[in-house]
Amino acid sequence: MVARDAVTRVLFEQFSPAAIGAFYAIAGVAVAVFGFGVYVQIRKYRRGAAAEIRGGLLGRFGAMVGTLLSHRTVARRDRGAGEAHRLIFYGFVLLFLGTSTITLDYDVVGPLLGVHFWHGDFYLWFSLVLDVAGVLLSGGLLYMMYRRGWLKPPKLDYARPDRKPGDADYDRSGYRREDWAFLWTLLLIAITGYVLEAARLVWLAGRPDVWDYRWWSPVGAIIADAMRALGLTAPAAAALRWSLWWFHGVLALAFIALIPYSKVKHIFTAAGSLLLRDPQAAQRLPGVPQSQERAGVQYITDLSWKQLLNLDACTKCGRCHEACPARAVGAPLSPRDVILSLREFANRTLESRELPPAAELDVHGKAPGQVATETLWSCRTCMACVEVCPVAIEHLPLIVQMRRKLVEDGTMDPQLQKTLQAIHKSGNSFGESKRKRPAWTKGLPFAVKDARKESVELLWFVGDYASFDPRNQKVTQTFASLLHQAGVDYGILYEAESNAGNDVRRVGEEGLYEMLATANIKSFSGSSFKSIVTTDPHSYNTIRNEYPDFGGNYSIEHYTTLVLRLLQEQRLAPKRKLGLRVTFHDPCHLGRFNKGYDAPRAILGLLGCELVEMGRCRANSFCCGAGGGRIWMPDPVGADRPAHNRMREAAAIPGLQVYVVSCPKDLTMFEDALKATGNEGKFVVKELIELIAEALQAEKSPATAVVAA
Amino acid sequence: MKVLVAVKQVAALDEDFEIRADGRDVEPDFLIRDLNEWDEYSLEEAVRIREAGTAPVEVIVVCVGPEDADEALRKCLAKGADRAVRVWDEALAGSDAIAIARVLAAVARKEAPDLLFAGVQASDHAFAATGVATAALLGWPHAAVVAGLTYTPGAKSAVVRRELEGGTLHEMQIECPAVLTIQLGINAPRYASLRSIKQAAAKPIEVLGLEELGIAAGEVGEAGSAARVRRMYIPDRGRAQMLEGSVEEQAARLAQIIKDATGSAR
Repeated sequence: MVARDAVTRVLFEQFSPAAIGAFYAIAGVAVAVFGFGVYVQIRKYRRGAAAEIRGGLLGRFGAMVGTLLSHRTVARRDRGAGEAHRLIFYGFVLLFLGTSTITLDYDVVGPLLGVHFWHGDFYLWFSLVLDVAGVLLSGGLLYMMYRRGWLKPPKLDYARPDRKPGDADYDRSGYRREDWAFLWTLLLIAITGYVLEAARLVWLAGRPDVWDYRWWSPVGAIIADAMRALGLTAPAAAALRWSLWWFHGVLALAFIALIPYSKVKHIFTAAGSLLLRDPQAAQRLPGVPQSQERAGVQYITDLSWKQLLNLDACTKCGRCHEACPARAVGAPLSPRDVILSLREFANRTLESRELPPAAELDVHGKAPGQVATETLWSCRTCMACVEVCPVAIEHLPLIVQMRRKLVEDGTMDPQLQKTLQAIHKSGNSFGESKRKRPAWTKGLPFAVKDARKESVELLWFVGDYASFDPRNQKVTQTFASLLHQAGVDYGILYEAESNAGNDVRRVGEEGLYEMLATANIKSFSGSSFKSIVTTDPHSYNTIRNEYPDFGGNYSIEHYTTLVLRLLQEQRLAPKRKLGLRVTFHDPCHLGRFNKGYDAPRAILGLLGCELVEMGRCRANSFCCGAGGGRIWMPDPVGADRPAHNRMREAAAIPGLQVYVVSCPKDLTMFEDALKATGNEGKFVVKELIELIAEALQAEKSPATAVVAA
Repeated sequence: MKVLVAVKQVAALDEDFEIRADGRDVEPDFLIRDLNEWDEYSLEEAVRIREAGTAPVEVIVVCVGPEDADEALRKCLAKGADRAVRVWDEALAGSDAIAIARVLAAVARKEAPDLLFAGVQASDHAFAATGVATAALLGWPHAAVVAGLTYTPGAKSAVVRRELEGGTLHEMQIECPAVLTIQLGINAPRYASLRSIKQAAAKPIEVLGLEELGIAAGEVGEAGSAARVRRMYIPDRGRAQMLEGSVEEQAARLAQIIKDATGSAR
C-alpha cells in the first residue's frame, strides 16, 4: 500500500506545458473580465449621491455575518426557498474555499516557500468535505428548479402591476432566462465535477494511491464503479477526463467572469446591502439639508451610492411583492418592480463610459425604467417591504424621497393638496380651528390639566384623529377616564399641539414636516413633564424616532404599555372577564415600526378575551391602507381596498366577536370596511381602550351584549 | 411681456370670534389670514402663460395691505410669481373697493402690463368691484368672471370665455391691455411646498408708498371712499332650536312645539 501521507491529486496530470499555459491564459482573461465588471459597477455606485451611514462598522459587520450564516432573513415566510438557499450557500462557500485552498497550495505557498500541505489526511478529509458540499449545492439547485418549474409560487411571477402587456418594459422573459441559466450553470459545474472525478478514478484505477482511497470521494466513487460496470476502459476514461476537465474548468471560469454582469453579483451586493443596513430605515426618514438645492430624488444620480447598491442586491425573490398591501388590491405598485425598474434605469445610464446628460437621468415618468406618479402615490409606507426583504433593501425612504420631488412640483391628488394646505394653516388635517382641538374635553365630568400651565408626570399627545374625528373622540374621552380612574397625573397641550407630522413626512412634504416637528418640540419645551403617552401609533413613531433629529429627545410610549402597567399594578382593576372571542390587528406603526406586539395581547389576556390570531399578524400584519398620507387621498372607485381585504381575512375566523384595533386611523378605516364588506352585525370593530373600559364596569354594556348573544 | 396679478390677503373667521370694540369689524385676534382663493387661480393662470414658453413673460403680483400681507405675497412667489409689490400707507386704512382700485391703477400705469388679472371677488368682503373699477380708472377694456382664456404672449388681443347663468359660456375677444377678473375653476392651482415658501422668503418684496405712485392721501382711505362701514354685527338668531335628550324626550318636546304652534290641545 502507498504511504497514506503521499496521497494527493496531481494537478494538470499529463498536461503539456502548452496546455497548462493555455489554462492560465484563460483564467487570466476570466479574472480580467471579472475585474473590469467590478470596476464598471463601482464606477456606477460612485456616480450616486453621498450616503449617510448610521451605526458603527463593527456592529453592522457582525449583524451581516450573523444574517448570512443563519440565513434568518432568507428563510422567513418561505421555508423551502430558505433551506434550499442555505444548501446552495454553504455548498458554494465550501467549494469556493476548497478551490482557493488548492490555489494557495499550488500557486502561492508551493512556488514561494516550497511548502505543500494538500496531501495525506488533509487531502482525504478535504475530498470528503468537498464531495458533500457538491451534494448540498446540487440538492439546493434541484429544489430551486423544482420550485421555479413546478411549484411556480405567485411571487416568482414577474408580471408587473404597473405596466400593461405590450409596454416596452413589460416583458420579463430575460429575467426568467437568466434565472434558469444561473441554476443550470451551477448545476452543470457540480455534475461535471463529479463525472470528472469519476473519470479520473477509472483512468487511474490501476494506481493504488488513487483507487484505494476512492471512497473519500463517495459520489465520484459510486459513479466510477458504475462507469466500470458499464465497460468504460482506462484509455476511454482518460479521454473523457481530458474533455470534461476543460469543459468544467472553462465553465467555472466563465461563471466567475460573469459574476459582475449577472444576477450572480448578488453574492457581493446582497452582502454589501446587509452590511449597510439601517434598522431604522423606515422609522426615521432622512431629512433634507437646508443647503440642498432640490428636495427629493429626481435624477438617478440623486440616489445615494448605498441606494444604487440596494438596487443591485435585489434577487427578485418577490417577498415584498407578496407583502405589499397596495399590490394586493391591484394598485399599480410593486416594491419589487420599483427596485427593478430603477436598477434597469441605473444600469442603462450609469454603466456607460460618459455620464449621459441630465435630461436622460430623470427617473420620473412612464418610459422604460422610470417610475410612474401613480406608482409612488400608491404606497402606504406600511414598511411591509422593508421588513421582509432578505437583503436589506430600503424601499420606503426611496419612495418617499421620490415623492418629495412630486410634492415640489405639486403633482398630487387635489384632496391631498387641500389637506396639506389645511395642516399648514391650522396645524391639523381636519382643517378645523386650533381652538377646537381640545373640544372633546368639554364632555368630561372632570378637568384635564393644561400641561402648558402646570407641571404633569405624563404628557398625553392626543393627535389629530383622536382629537377631531367624532367616533375617535369618544375613545379619547374613554382613555381620559381610564387615566383619571387610575389616578395618573397627566395633562395635554390644548391648542399648542399640532399634527405630529408622521404622515406629512411620509407624503414627502418635508418642509411642512419640519415646521410641525419644530412647533411641537417648542410646545414640549414650554411644558414640564416626565414622559409622553399617545394613543396614536403614527405620532408615537415620529416623536420617538424622528424628533431626536430635530433636537427633541423624549421618553414616549404607546398607551398599550402604560395601560398594561396600570393593570398589573392594580391601578386599573377589571371587575369582570369579558369572555369575548377577539382578533387583534397590529397597527403598522406600533407593530412593524416599533415592535409593540406584546402589550396589547397581554391586555387582551388580562381582560379575559380569547385571542384568535389572523394569518397575517405581528411583523406580517396587513396595513389598513391609511398610511403614507393615503387616508387623505380617495381610493379608486370600485377597486378593492386593503381594509376590505383585511376584513375578509378577519371574517373567516369562526365565531369572531370583536376585531380589536389600537390606532385611531384603524378604527375609522375598519369600521368603514366592516360595512362595505357586508360584515356589519356579524362582529364589531373596537378600540382596545373601549374593551378595557367595559371590563372595568360591573355590568355588560348593551353593545357587547348584542354581539355576544 | 408682463402680467400684473392683483391679490388680496383675506381674513376668515376662527371658531369663536368677537366684534371689535368700535363695532365696525371683527376683533383681529379672531381672524385667520390667507391668500384670497380667487387669486390662487388668477396667479396660476398668469404663471401658466409664462410656462407655455412662447415668449419671455414676467408675472408680477401686487397687493394693497400692511406688512402682514407679505405672507400672501410670499405664497405667490413660491407658486411662481417673478416679482412682488406691496403698497401701503396708514392713510389706506378704511379704503373701499374704488379707493383700492385707484392704487392698483397707479401700479398698472407704472408697470404697463399687457394683462391685469384680479379675482372675481375677495372671499371676505365680496364686493366683486375692485377689478372692474381698476379697468374703468385705467380706461382699459375688461371681462368679468373669466372661466377660460386663450392668449399668446405678445398678441394684441385675448380670447376669453365668461361664465353666464345656466351654464352658458360667453366667448369674446378683448383688446390688450385689458383687465380680466378670474373665476374659480379656470385651472387647478399648484401646491406651494413649505420648502418653496421658505425659499421665497429670501426673495425681496418691493414696498411702495402713496407718494411714489403719485396718489394724494385724500384719494384713499375713508376720506377717499364713497362707501363706509357703519357696523358689523351678528343678526338675531332665528327660531330654530336643537332638541336634545333621549329619543323619547325629543319626540315629546317636538309634539309640544307642534301643539303650541297649531294651537291644538288634543
